[in-house]
Amino acid sequence: MKLINRYVNEVGKHLPLIQGREDIEKELRSTLEDMLEERAQKAGRPADETMEIELLKAYGSPQKVAQTYNPHPYLVGPRVYPFFLMILKIVFFGIVIGLSVVTIIQLLSQLSTGVAFMSPDFMKTILQGAGKIISTGIAAFGYVVVAFVLIERLVPDLKFDFEEEKEWDPAALAKEPDANSVSRGELITEIVFTFVGLAILNFYQQILGMYFFSGEQSFFIPLFSDEFQKFIPWINLIFLAEIAVDIYLLRNAVWTTATRVAKIIIEGASLVLAVLIIRTPNILGVTAESLANSPFTPERAEQFFKIANVSFSITLIAVIITVSIELIKAVIGLVKSINSKQSK
Amino acid sequence: MTNTEPVENVVLELRRGVIVLAALSQLSVEQYGYSLLKKLSEQGLEVDQGTLYPLLRRLEAQGLLESVWKLEEARPRRYYVISAEGKKILPKLKKEWADIVSVMKKFLA
Repeated sequence: MKLINRYVNEVGKHLPLIQGREDIEKELRSTLEDMLEERAQKAGRPADETMEIELLKAYGSPQKVAQTYNPHPYLVGPRVYPFFLMILKIVFFGIVIGLSVVTIIQLLSQLSTGVAFMSPDFMKTILQGAGKIISTGIAAFGYVVVAFVLIERLVPDLKFDFEEEKEWDPAALAKEPDANSVSRGELITEIVFTFVGLAILNFYQQILGMYFFSGEQSFFIPLFSDEFQKFIPWINLIFLAEIAVDIYLLRNAVWTTATRVAKIIIEGASLVLAVLIIRTPNILGVTAESLANSPFTPERAEQFFKIANVSFSITLIAVIITVSIELIKAVIGLVKSINSKQSK
Repeated sequence: MTNTEPVENVVLELRRGVIVLAALSQLSVEQYGYSLLKKLSEQGLEVDQGTLYPLLRRLEAQGLLESVWKLEEARPRRYYVISAEGKKILPKLKKEWADIVSVMKKFLA
């Protein structure tokens, strides 16, 4: 029986600890001893090691036998895999955004301490930032995998119902938005934000700036200089046009060729305006002179000035990129709608 | 021989679908794993031990079988017998089987 015992032990090593290893081992041992006895009877002689060996050989390798007792031989099984992917996406998204923000802040503070834009030190920070994103991403991947391995192992036979499945209604497919429809939610959001922007720019510029208190005096430095004020009528025009088009779209929530073209014009004009603004020097009210009156020391003022400029440039570049994308989307939408109308 | 592998796999698949019903049908009398294996084999259904024993455990986990350890002749044996739940669904399974057989007869005629 020695070999049988060793064999059973070997099988046991490959069995999950929690889910009945001892029980399986016991049953296996009992079965094998029965089988051995039978062999001995058939052979007409008492069981010996050779017989044991033959029996165990016929029974199969310990790993194979252990495997038959394992109903879910997966690291991350098919039941949890959809969740796994979903969580991975969320985690990665968060990491990329979070670390990017941190890196950008580092870059900005570097600039304020006199490091030149695109200098070796600057680039080093960028590369380090990218490196951090990658390494944190890999570590996070590992944590998520470990978590899901535990779930897979310790929650053996639960059924995971992906909630969406229950609520998914094929009728929703029948209502598939045709390419010409517009989301009312998006429209309303756009209208509200454009309104707010309009109001702030025209009536509440006081909040766009910085206040300082020094002793009993207070200073206010506006964000935008007088140069900028020249652009305001144009910006107003664009905002108003955008609001008008959006309100018109709200009525039917459907694009027409006219509205598509109007949108394209607005986006194009926004793009031009953004480019003009970024190319205008002295757009910001935060200048070296205006800061001279503030409690900042000249060096700090200088740094502040640089940070403000760079932040503003970055913001404008982001705006330009976004508007360009919207413009391209609008043009593509127009082309597609014209094509589909022609082919009808 | 790769030629016979697909055939063997299909045959295995065929048998696998039947084993649960076969086991349940024979366990109105309590048996231990090895005795059930032999009984099925004697009556013409060859089942691999790697299939049967885990299957018995699974059926017990699902509540269709009950098991108890008995000590006989200094050897502990785990006896399985059909549970009340199993007795309830067995007639349904039998009917299901009869339906399948009659349908298949038509297909294979």
